[in-house]
Amino acid sequence: MKLLSKRNGYFLFAILATAFFYSKDGDITTSVYATGAAFALPLALAAMVGIMCERTGIVNIGIEGTMLLSAFVAFFVSSLTQNIIIGLICAVFTGSMMGLILAVMAVSWRMDQIIAGTILNILATGLTSFLYVQGKTIPSVFQAIEVPVLSKIPFFGPVLFIHGALTFIGIAIILALYVAIYHTSWGLRSRAVGEHPSSADTAGVSVARLRYINVTIAGGIGALAGAYLSLELVGSFERGFTAGKGFTALALMIFGRWNPLGALAAALFFGLAQAYANQLMIDQVVNIPTQFTAILPYVMTIVVLTISAGKVRPPAAEGQPYEKGQA
Amino acid sequence: MIKRISAVTAALALATVGFIVPAQAATTEADCGTAGAFCVGLVTDLGKVDDKSFNQSAWEGAKAGAAKAGGFAKYIETTDSKDYAKNMALFADKGYNVIVTVGFLMGDATAAAAVKYPKIKFIGVDQFNASTATNNTGLIFDEDKAGFLAGYLAAYLTKTNKVGAVFGMKEVLPVRKFGEGYENGIAYGAKERSKKIKSTVVYHAAGDNAFSDPAWGATTANQLLTQGYDIIFGAGGSTGNGALGKVAQKAGAFCIGVDTDQYYTVPEAKACIVTSAEKKLSLGVSTLIAQAKAGTIKGGNFTGQVGLSPFHDLDSKVPAVVKVRLKKVTTGILAGSISTGFKG
Amino acid sequence: MSQTKVAPKEVGKPAKNFDVGSWLVPVIAVLVAMSLAAILMRLQGSNPLTAYKSLFTTAFGSAAGIGATLGKSTPLVLSGLAVAVGLRAGLFNIGAQGQLLSGALAAAWAGVTFEGLPGYIHIPIALIVGAFFGSIVAGISGFLKAYRGVHEVITTIMLNSIVMGIADYLASHQLREPDQFLTRTSEIQASAKMPVYAHLPLGFFIAVALAGAIWWILGRTTSGFRIETVGRNRHAAWYAGISVKRTVISAMLISGAIAGLGGAVETLGITYRYAPAFNLGLGFDGITIALLGRVHPLGIIPGAILIGGMRAGAANMQFDSGVAPELVDLLMALILLLVTAPLITRFFKNSSNKSMTSGWGS
Repeated sequence: MKLLSKRNGYFLFAILATAFFYSKDGDITTSVYATGAAFALPLALAAMVGIMCERTGIVNIGIEGTMLLSAFVAFFVSSLTQNIIIGLICAVFTGSMMGLILAVMAVSWRMDQIIAGTILNILATGLTSFLYVQGKTIPSVFQAIEVPVLSKIPFFGPVLFIHGALTFIGIAIILALYVAIYHTSWGLRSRAVGEHPSSADTAGVSVARLRYINVTIAGGIGALAGAYLSLELVGSFERGFTAGKGFTALALMIFGRWNPLGALAAALFFGLAQAYANQLMIDQVVNIPTQFTAILPYVMTIVVLTISAGKVRPPAAEGQPYEKGQA
Repeated sequence: MIKRISAVTAALALATVGFIVPAQAATTEADCGTAGAFCVGLVTDLGKVDDKSFNQSAWEGAKAGAAKAGGFAKYIETTDSKDYAKNMALFADKGYNVIVTVGFLMGDATAAAAVKYPKIKFIGVDQFNASTATNNTGLIFDEDKAGFLAGYLAAYLTKTNKVGAVFGMKEVLPVRKFGEGYENGIAYGAKERSKKIKSTVVYHAAGDNAFSDPAWGATTANQLLTQGYDIIFGAGGSTGNGALGKVAQKAGAFCIGVDTDQYYTVPEAKACIVTSAEKKLSLGVSTLIAQAKAGTIKGGNFTGQVGLSPFHDLDSKVPAVVKVRLKKVTTGILAGSISTGFKG
Repeated sequence: MSQTKVAPKEVGKPAKNFDVGSWLVPVIAVLVAMSLAAILMRLQGSNPLTAYKSLFTTAFGSAAGIGATLGKSTPLVLSGLAVAVGLRAGLFNIGAQGQLLSGALAAAWAGVTFEGLPGYIHIPIALIVGAFFGSIVAGISGFLKAYRGVHEVITTIMLNSIVMGIADYLASHQLREPDQFLTRTSEIQASAKMPVYAHLPLGFFIAVALAGAIWWILGRTTSGFRIETVGRNRHAAWYAGISVKRTVISAMLISGAIAGLGGAVETLGITYRYAPAFNLGLGFDGITIALLGRVHPLGIIPGAILIGGMRAGAANMQFDSGVAPELVDLLMALILLLVTAPLITRFFKNSSNKSMTSGWGS
């Protein structure tokens, strides 16, 4: 890898910019970055769902629905049992089932994958708003944990080491997924299935089985993103709770080029942009109309992508059902 | 089913409130449109009658008003803002006596319907009524007054001298009235205490989800909390509720609810809700329904009551001297002798 | 893209779609979906028969009802068509919502600003302005895709939010109705209001005519052939001497123009002004409709009418039976599942289930 690569250039720029802001006002910068991380986490986790599915050749646009239904289950089961752990488990189960359903539709039924995902989305919207009841509460949320010693480090402590349990689990999953995709035989096989299923098949990999497993696990990760929203961040559930995060995550997945760390970086960039947009309003430095601060992250994403151009290439066999004997 | 429930609530309301039982039996749905029946229809703005604030309070008011009058109440939830007129017509064609429409966006449609159905009384919640029609009454509120009082209280309760708010869209007038009143109330309190108090209102970006983005509300509230803000006013549907829920997770921080006494409607925020900047929506609606029943409703605009909700669990955290001062300022604000400074 | 990515399409061969099986499948899907939803209603304590009776007599039981249904269907036909055109070219245009919004706002501007024109000039001008702005928004995505390799899924998702923000800003500032605190434009001139003929909205006929035109273009013209070829296999298209870049851009321009027209028709035929609360979710419904219609320009129409009808009847259903209007979303998901799942398809159709879309169609 070249030392002067474009990517390292971005990193350097990000570090310098952070240092500059931090030197101007440490506390505010820390708060903005911590907020940016909080905005980013559900997006990054949701992007992982997309990455896991697409790496094996399954397009999942049902992330939004998976998150929504899981957040719903997480909250209402927690409320019913008065136990957030049971709620979390049921949510992960629900998400995995959504993944499994997607796999059945996409792999066994060889259905159109965009349709399959769309079905999950509208099904989740319909079910959650139809079955929603108000006035329920959960005993507590996943409270913020301060990691001993590490949380005391200036800047990095509050940004990285004071979070609820689900955040830590989420970060662990993202890092683990990165390692797994690029450094394990599972990852190699998954990528092979996503790029060239017939060769993988010839080499003895069961395409269908691997796709089933990955899409199901991915559903569980999506559930975690949903449960994070209802059990850790907000502590309640409302209709339309996920507010389009599953779709934004798809964009971040592509932005991050189907690489878990890339998607994480994209999500952090996006989250930070939102946190800065808020900060502009809090500080009332300039009176920018809310509409413009709101679209800032989206405009920045397009501009950055346009400048960095580089053809983004999805896994080759994506979206295609696999049949044995296919070229 | 609905019939039975409403009959039961009507009976309960009569029994508990102890009103004089009307001579005829309570109206049921089948009676609507017949002589002597009294039926109230409610059309929500894009939203549900269980939204924990706005539509819900209006619906509760409609139910209570109908029950008191020995009538029947029913709602339709609008899913497309192009259907306002159509949804009102559903009630009108069935001979309902009173139609309550909720939300300022329905103002035009309500005024038009009032012309079309001169015999039906229309109550437009949050709609400033510019028409001279006698069968259309706008129920409006001085949100800036409620916001001012909330801000005044916050100025006395803050320990960090930083007071914030997380709001829905700025473009929605009632929201902005709350916001400006709040900031002016903080400034008023700060001046009394001769302290410098930093105040800020963060508005959600205008858009489809401005009032239904609890995750944004929670994250933004946390951003304020980590910067030392210790009182946060959350207003704007579930976006505001998300902010309240987040503040409740932080020990020692207070939050302020909106529209109704959110101590009851946002139970996850019980730990931090010191008060709510209330618009007595239910009371306003039921009062107007009673007027409609009695035939004394006049058209024009009816200004509903505003004020702060009780302190509930946090009563002990509000010093007695602050309560006294708040009472004085409340009187001044409601009487108009203290200006909220809202310019519009 | 690898050679395996060939998505078989049946353009230009509609005859194949008219066998008994393909008629029965959707009908059965609708019936099964309704039965499933009925169980849910029963569990909630409502009467599904009352609900359905109310839903469908409102939507299809009277001339006025059919008019309302067609009114609701019009933007759905157009946004579905917009998504379908993109898919045909291998582009997943999630941005129909943003394109539709810009069309709606632009048409409102044209409808308010131009004065003293007769209707037969004013209406077409406003429609063209709406289509033009929708087309520009989608064109940005098309251009970035073709020349900078930026994925259209990202840009269309981002542009949805950007357009919403800008439209909202304009509607609350420059284009706001004078002396009004509401975020909305003034009402359009009378000359820009589209007529309704005996309950039947003009817009619906425009939408259907356009669907026919697109069907003809895709199946019978060279430009259509280019779009289809690029959609099937970009490499093959390139070898065949088709300019992939130009085709991608023109497909996006067409797609955006149709979505923009959808917004314009809504403004000129139904709302008569622009306000942010109008047009909610219409572009996203377009994705469902396009898929329900199997990405066939004419197949979109019945799906749009069914969903438009259910949306038109939802309020009456709640009035008569107490069932919440969200039931329609639930029905939509179930119908889509059943129509596309091979479970029942296999019984009635011999043809194997082939992909209509192809991933992100990069």
